[in-house]
Amino acid sequence: MTTATALVPETGFIRWRSVHAIWWRHLLALSRVWQVALTWFVIEPAVVLLAVALGIGQLVGEMEGFGTYAMFVAPGIVIGTAMFHAIFECSWSTFERIGQSYYETALTAPVTIHEIVFAELLFAVTRALISTVAVAGFAIAFGWIPLSALPGLMLVSVGVGTVFGGIGLLFAALSPSMHALSLVFTLVATPLYFFSGTFFPISVLPDWLQPVAWIAPLTPLVELARGMALADLGWVHVYCGLYVLGLTALLYPLAVRLMRRRLMK
Amino acid sequence: MLPATRDLDPADADANPETESILVTAIEARGLVKTFGTLRAVDGVSFRVERGETYGLLGPNGAGKTSIMRMLAGLSPISGGELFLSGLNVAEHSRAVRARLGVVTQADGLDGELSVRQNLEVFGFLVGLSRRQARVRADEVLGFFRLGDRASSEVDELSGGMRRRLAIARALMGEPEVIILDEPSTGLDPESRIRVWEELAELKRADVTLLMSTHYMDEAETLCDRIAIMHSGRILDEGTPPELVSRHAGSAAMDIRPNGSSREAIRRELDAAALTYREVGALFRVTGGNGAPPRLPALEGVQITERAANLEDVFLALAGRGLQEDQA
Ligand SMILES: Nc1ncnc2c1ncn2[C@@H]1O[C@H](COP(=O)(O)OP(=O)(O)OP(=O)(O)O)[C@@H](O)[C@H]1O
Ligand SMILES: [Mg+2]
Repeated sequence: MTTATALVPETGFIRWRSVHAIWWRHLLALSRVWQVALTWFVIEPAVVLLAVALGIGQLVGEMEGFGTYAMFVAPGIVIGTAMFHAIFECSWSTFERIGQSYYETALTAPVTIHEIVFAELLFAVTRALISTVAVAGFAIAFGWIPLSALPGLMLVSVGVGTVFGGIGLLFAALSPSMHALSLVFTLVATPLYFFSGTFFPISVLPDWLQPVAWIAPLTPLVELARGMALADLGWVHVYCGLYVLGLTALLYPLAVRLMRRRLMK
Repeated sequence: MLPATRDLDPADADANPETESILVTAIEARGLVKTFGTLRAVDGVSFRVERGETYGLLGPNGAGKTSIMRMLAGLSPISGGELFLSGLNVAEHSRAVRARLGVVTQADGLDGELSVRQNLEVFGFLVGLSRRQARVRADEVLGFFRLGDRASSEVDELSGGMRRRLAIARALMGEPEVIILDEPSTGLDPESRIRVWEELAELKRADVTLLMSTHYMDEAETLCDRIAIMHSGRILDEGTPPELVSRHAGSAAMDIRPNGSSREAIRRELDAAALTYREVGALFRVTGGNGAPPRLPALEGVQITERAANLEDVFLALAGRGLQEDQA
């Protein structure tokens, strides 16, 4: 297969085919269980969105600067759900694939760890995007988010996929067991889901907790999403954007390093 | 035919000045070392596999066979020494090396979330085939391994033998020059083993270079042109099966089954006749005689089977020696 040899550069840069093939494999695997996947992407978030917006929303009433509670909470739930998908993909699914020697097999092809990490993040982004389109679609249908905000929300979901895919990979690479791995949900995903300005503004938290909430990696993404939904972007969103870029720049090389340590012995 | 009838890439020749040896040498290890902490899993191993040759690594559990193969496949960093594939230094050109290599790992590494055919096609795409080429090639290898009617099965539905053959089929997707097989037939029933052997023999006829490890002497004897017998990370001896047999076990051998007679009496008798022997389970395996071993008239009731010496005798002799060195 002389073509492969010709197409294969030495380490140092990304061979697009490796990324494409791994991404395709993940998409194929997901599409083979599409009936179940549909419940993750549609039914579950719809239940949460309806319960919170219609149920709790009745008790809360108008929120200053945001309109109804449903309009406040919808972007938060869109992003929080995308976060779960990205984390799940890169912690749980990646961990399973490590156990089933999937990466070992992939590495026998002309593939590098860099490309594996890149592909995993790309697929986390893909899942975050599917989720965002599904959940935002609901909110748009109910008039809680304007249709014009969808591209902006999708852009934010790219950030959700890379940051939380990256965090998921760290846990997958470090966890000795499934039990240890579940910490990513109890210690990271669940607290962030509730304390990142998703369900209530950070300003209602006690003073000592507010700075913590601002450092939490989901907060800038929720802020950005809300800015997109309300078409109201300011300097705070510049901070948010830079924070997300900074996190990505930190997480990516760390994930490569830890995955290398895990996979190459 | 199936596997690579690939022309030599002239770029290879440029990669190393020793052009002539590259054209005939598929794999070369020079003083290869692999350490895990203080353990030297591979402890200065040198060998050379010629193009088209089938080379076997034999040795007890933990001898370092898998470690050597993993280093060649780029799955494990090399701790010391040098390793070349077609003249390419594995440490520097791991990606180019893997583009020429098919690998069947000790655990099959099949993708349980995909069908049999998808396992092949996705891997083909990963190694660089187009989607269409991957489809065509998948049909070829499925046909070759007689898995065509299982193409749409789930991997979990396959028998152990089919799984193993699918793993080998996957390694062939990119038409590799060299194939590494880590224990290709372990865990298979006799019929599946023979089937795998036939298929590997077919690859060999197509001039593919094979590096394999095995615990089965009959497998090594059937498939391998040359064998390295390993112990504790070292190669104890290397050669063709007949060479190794005549060097370490002579030409004739016999097995003595005591059938209730005193083992002590048998030992005395064998020592008196100055024969080398090893007690393996119920048997005494007597080796080292040239020509037919002498009769042992003093032994009553025992069952003596005369036979040609084989690799098993070599393995027992060499591994035994290795063990004694360990204890010394
Ligand atoms: N990841 C690892 N970490 C620590 N030690 C290891 C690791 N992998 C292998 N070893 C050790 O290296 C030595 C050689 O192992 P290797 O797997 O190469 O042996 P092998 O000849 O393939 O054995 P087997 O016949 O059981 O497959 C063993 O002592 C093993 O315990
Ligand atoms: Mg092994």
